[in-house]
Amino acid sequence: MIGHYLALIRRELWEHRSIWLTPIVIAGVVTLGTLTALMFAGEFAHELDLAIFGAQNIAGDMERRAVLTGFFVGSSWLFLLGLGVLTIFYTLDSLYAERKDKSILFWRSLPVTDAETVISKLLTAVVLIPAVAIVAIIGTHIVNLIVTSIWVSMKGGDAGLLIWGSVPLLDNWLATALTVFSMAIWMSPFLGWFLFVSAYTRRSPLLMAFLPLVLIPMIEGIFFRSANFAEAVWGRGAKIPLFSGIDIEAFFDEGQTRVSEEMVSLLAHLDLGKFVTSIDTWIGIIVCGLLTTAAIYVRRFRDES
Amino acid sequence: MNSLVTARGVSKHFGSVRAVDDVSFEIERGRILGLIGPNGAGKTTLLKALLGLTDCEGDLSVLGLDPFRQRKKLMQNICFIADVAVLPRWIKVSQVLDYVEAIHPNFSRKRAEELLKQTKIKKGSKVKELSKGMVTQLHLSIIMAIDAKLLVLDEPTLGLDILFRKEFYANLLNDYFDEERTILITTHQVEEIENLLTDIMFINDGKLLLDSSMEALSEKYVELLASGEGAQKARGLGPIAENQMFGKSVMLFEGVSREHLEGLGEIRIPSVADLFVAKIKEARK
Repeated sequence: MIGHYLALIRRELWEHRSIWLTPIVIAGVVTLGTLTALMFAGEFAHELDLAIFGAQNIAGDMERRAVLTGFFVGSSWLFLLGLGVLTIFYTLDSLYAERKDKSILFWRSLPVTDAETVISKLLTAVVLIPAVAIVAIIGTHIVNLIVTSIWVSMKGGDAGLLIWGSVPLLDNWLATALTVFSMAIWMSPFLGWFLFVSAYTRRSPLLMAFLPLVLIPMIEGIFFRSANFAEAVWGRGAKIPLFSGIDIEAFFDEGQTRVSEEMVSLLAHLDLGKFVTSIDTWIGIIVCGLLTTAAIYVRRFRDES
Repeated sequence: MNSLVTARGVSKHFGSVRAVDDVSFEIERGRILGLIGPNGAGKTTLLKALLGLTDCEGDLSVLGLDPFRQRKKLMQNICFIADVAVLPRWIKVSQVLDYVEAIHPNFSRKRAEELLKQTKIKKGSKVKELSKGMVTQLHLSIIMAIDAKLLVLDEPTLGLDILFRKEFYANLLNDYFDEERTILITTHQVEEIENLLTDIMFINDGKLLLDSSMEALSEKYVELLASGEGAQKARGLGPIAENQMFGKSVMLFEGVSREHLEGLGEIRIPSVADLFVAKIKEARK
């Protein structure tokens, strides 16, 4: 059973090479960005001493931590954005391409149920791609921290203290992993919808997936003068009940004196309990389940001839 | 139980069109059955019902299973080649082997690799880099490495040249077929498979026109080549078809004994293609 799923998911990696190529490209861009920034900072090394990363005398602990945390969060979002877009295209293509090139008849000639096939594609989107994202994010962070450490060391700074010691790395990575997986679960009703469209549509899955998401809010606005659908669909991404309020002002005010470990730790800003107990999380999971079931039925019952 | 497939009153509608219309038949173990019919006759729909790819009315049992509801279990013992183009173009030969090995409990990778060694197919190649003939060879190598009870081939040699077609059927007979295995083939090129069939079914407009073993066929149907008075007398025996060829009449008789026809002209065993055309014309009358 598990062997089946592993084989099916491995198949997805063969077909959709962008799943692992995209993070490599993003990692390359981020690292190139860091190298450029360090070279640029190097030009002004006299004025900036060790620039902001390594500043012992100009910038304080707090600023350095803020910059490092900014780098952590910023680069992670870059991966999330890239892999988010990739996931949309992946799910829309996953059950459409096999019908377009008629390979569906080959896949269905083997002892695999339609449910196993569709679920393997959902698992690729909800588990595999996020897992790839997390590995890529942590890998990129490590490479970039090493590069920055070398730079700082060359300038005579203590990289162990300035770079590796100033932010709780493991906390931040754990927070990244939790955020990425929670985000995947939170957005899973969209993935279910894309899978359904991919199984159902006869042409242009991208258009067929987004047209109703644009038209329904317009119709609702015109006839009911309300925006419930638009809020539920387009507003969902920003409403994830995972983060506890971050008081930026307090962070900087208190930072004037001392920044505690918890303040910089991204983990401290996550509220997993709120996410797990939120009714909206569960509604999303149920909607995803229903749409995935619909995709399974379409694949099973539709006659492709 | 020797029946591999049992169909009783099987029908399939598409709106008001009856693609398969109240069809009943049995397929026994160790046979090679040809399912012959013109385009749109319902061949593919019937095959899809057998393979559990589409639901149907009536009682249909394949290897004692309900094909639509027990498709996964069924597919462990059935193989099919639906068309030459169904292998995905992006996949590598080695990946196809890895995948089928992981998924299929009755697949022998060793056997598939032996079969592939006899071809020019490289393991690192992608399907899109292979010629049409090579893709079929690859597909057949995989299928022949699966220990299945029933092999279904739907127009397996479509678009292939004559060399490949001959080789395909030779491989199938020599390397695959045995008494435990059953093969069901549909094709337009009846002449090419006529000699390997043990049984034959004709289908037209969703109905079975003929369901017979090849032995019974040569007993039941007789072709007479006659002219003049002989032809006149033969006409009285009610041929199901008559054509003119080189000034002679070619008549096809169903259920008329050879003794009755002897002396009227030259008696021959009709070809499946001629019989098929006669049956279709008869059904359309």
